[in-house]
This record gives sequence, C-alpha cells and structure tokens, in this order.
Amino acid sequence: MTSDQGRVLVVDDHKPNRIKISFAVKKLGHIVEAAEDGRQALEMLREQPFDLVLLDILMPELDGYQVLERMKADSALRHIPVIVISAEQELDSVVKGIELGAEDYLPKTFDLVLLRARISACLEKKRFRDQEIEYLRQVERLTEAAALVEAATFAPDGLGLESLTTRPDALGRLARVFLRMAREVHVREQRLKQQVQELRIEVDHARQRQQVSKITGTDYFRELRGKAGDLRNLLEGEE
Amino acid sequence: MSRIISIHSFRGGTGKSNTTANVAALLALEGRRVGVIDTDIQSPGIHVLFGLAGDAIGHSLNDYLWGRCDIGHAAHDLTAKLGEGASGRLFLIPSSIQAGEIVNVLREGYDVSLLTRGFRSLIKELALDVLMIDTHPGLNEETLFALAISHALAIILRPDQQDYEGTGVTIEVARSLDVPRMLLVINKTPQALDPAEVRARVARAYTCEVAAVLPHSDELMTLASAGIFVLRYPDHPLTALYREVAAMLVA
Repeated sequence: MTSDQGRVLVVDDHKPNRIKISFAVKKLGHIVEAAEDGRQALEMLREQPFDLVLLDILMPELDGYQVLERMKADSALRHIPVIVISAEQELDSVVKGIELGAEDYLPKTFDLVLLRARISACLEKKRFRDQEIEYLRQVERLTEAAALVEAATFAPDGLGLESLTTRPDALGRLARVFLRMAREVHVREQRLKQQVQELRIEVDHARQRQQVSKITGTDYFRELRGKAGDLRNLLEGEE
Repeated sequence: MSRIISIHSFRGGTGKSNTTANVAALLALEGRRVGVIDTDIQSPGIHVLFGLAGDAIGHSLNDYLWGRCDIGHAAHDLTAKLGEGASGRLFLIPSSIQAGEIVNVLREGYDVSLLTRGFRSLIKELALDVLMIDTHPGLNEETLFALAISHALAIILRPDQQDYEGTGVTIEVARSLDVPRMLLVINKTPQALDPAEVRARVARAYTCEVAAVLPHSDELMTLASAGIFVLRYPDHPLTALYREVAAMLVA
C-alpha cells in the first residue's frame, strides 16, 4: 500500500450505487471493501482496519445515522473519517450526518474530481490523526516506564522503549535520555543491592573467642579486671 | 561526679578522633567542662582538628609520662574555639608529634598506672564533668586500661568486613571489664546503604546498642577535615547525629 493509498469501506444497500462508488474509488487507486447494510459495515469495521467510510444514509436495519452514532461511541472506530452519501435534495440529512461526526458529504451523482478531492482530504486528516494517536500512545508508554522507574520495579530492557528511541523528534530524544538515565538508575540500584548483601556481617566466632581469651587470659588483664570498678569509682570522685 | 568516656576502634582510619572532637565540642557547648586526652601516642592527630598547630603544643601528655611536667600543664584551654556563648569549657591534652618522643614510647613504653594519677589530677584541677579519651586503635595495655576506667565506651566501626571481627573482640573484652555503657557508632557509611538497615544488622550481630549511623560522602570528608564539623555546621543533619551520640554517652 502506498502512502497516498487508503482502505475504503463503501456502505450502501443499493447494489448499483455500491458498485458504482466502489469502482470509482478503486479507479482512484484505493483498496475498496463494500458492505450492503449498516450492521455488516460495523462488523467489517471491527474486524479490519479502514482509513475511510463512504456511508449511505437511508438503509434498512441500521441506517447511516445509527452507524455513525455507534462508530463515534466506539473508541476503536471513532477516529475513522466518514463521508456521508446523499441525494442533492437531502440537505437536512447531510447536516445531521455532519452533526453526528461525519467529515464531509458526497452527492450521489458525483464526479471523479470531487470524489478524489474529498477522499484525499479525509485520508490526509486520518494520517495526521493516526500520527497523533501513535504519538500519544508512545507518550503514555514513556510515562508508564517512568512510573516503573519511580516504583523501582523495572529492568531497563523491559521498559519497551526501544522503538520509541528511534524517533527522530523531541519525543525520541526524551526517550533516549530517559532510557540512558533509567539504565544508570538500574546500575545504581543493583550496586545498592550488592552492597546490602555485602553488609552481611560474617565473623569467625571461634577465632574471635581465641583472640578474646588471648587478651583476657593475661595476668595484666586479670589484674585490671579486678580493679576496674575501683578505678572507675576513684576517677568518678567516689573514694 | 565525673564521667570517663573512651572513643575506640579496633582498626585505624575509622574516624575515631573526628568523633571524639565533635562529641567533646557538643558536650562543652551544652555547658559541661570537658577534657579530651589524646592517648594515641603512637599516631597523635586530634590536635589538628582543634586547630592546634604542632609548634603551638607546649607541654604534652608525653612530658607528663616522662616526669617533665604536671599533667595540668599539658592541658590546653580551647574553650575559645567553641565560639561566643559557650557555657562550658574545653581542654585538650595532646600527645607530642615529635618523632623522638613517639619512638621513645614505642621503644620503652610507659607506666600505665601513671595515667590513673594523671587522670585523677586532671579531673580535680580542671573540675571536669567529662574526660574523653581518644584511644590508640587495637587492644594494647594502654587501651585496655582506658576501657577499664571508662564509664561509657563508644566503639567506632565502618560497615566493612575488615572491621567486623576486631569490633567483636573489642566488645567481648569490654564486656569482660564490665564497662557500664557501651555503644557502637557506625561511621563512613556509604550513602547508598539504608542507615536503618545498617543499624539493625549491626545491632543484631553484636547484641549491642548502635548510637548512630554516620554517612560518608566526599563532601562530608572535605567539610569534616577542615575542623570541628559541629561548630562550623551546627544545623547540618550530621551534627544532629553527633548530638545523639553525645546524649547517649552521657545518659
């Protein structure tokens, strides 16, 4: 798929219209799928990625308005732009469609230039929106990583920031600096753990007893111990 | 009633003299008459912390031990170093830094019993509330004597395997001498270590009370080597820790 190419879903219960629009969109170089009613359209939208929906208003079961409402209520679908298809005389339905979140409208009797212009504009917006969503997702990943570092429950290589660090923009620089600092913090934490382990106080008690008895077994020590209390009293002033 | 406090460590370089000087200054600031005696004759140094130049040392402990003066003449009044408003007094009895004097001690030793008479005179003449003894590391006869006459003993150690066994020996020997109060001061603790954890582990290992866990950093080393830390930085957290040690030693 080229960068200008999009995946477009054409939704129309009227088969000749569906074929006509699909053909025209395909001719503009896009990948086209078609749904014959609103329910099928929603199923396909939930199963496959689409960049744009061309949506007829008047359809049995779920009409275009209901499809729009359900798309806008679904966080996974609300960002997909929708162009409503309407007859020239149905201005009210166009207005209602735009109020419900449609990006634009297309008359049923359209020419190819108008179709190309509207599809291109919508796909451009979709691409910007996708970039924005991806940016926000990566910011969220970075803040989640910061929370892990703050809670000291992390391993730098498990923070999942590698792809983020390859970004050429300021967010990428922030991620690279953050990851470097996280690695430094991790090394420091590891060193701390090691030092705490090294704080294990290991004393050879047998050797210690031997050294103590070597000192306490001398005549000098025995004599000193015998008079230590008196010496303290003497120096304290209690004669 | 006077109190003898010894500050000791099994190994050198633990910060024994620094601790002695800072605790002595705090006790004097609180209004006590404090004498500090440097019995580390082989490697004297506490006078440097008190800003007493080697050539300004007239009589020293060595002169007293060799019968060249009374011990009172070896006492230097350093109360002025405490600054204005200090209600106590501070005296230092330094050891000689002259090489010949040090060699004499190493070769001939000295009569330890002279120290008893000297300390008694000192306490009486200077009306001391506290006499602090900066000991020589290890456990030679002079050090054992200092421990034996002490009402309170602070043993300085670093959180370092090299210090653990010697500290254990010192504690057992001091227990044999029935030293009434014995505390551990953990000095030069890397800042990466949790002081509470260090305190708990050391206290458990020796079944001995830990008075303080003093941190180590290059900044502190620089500040501490420039004089009596508690006088220069009275509001520093390290000063608060020294204050706890001082309070526990006279409690």
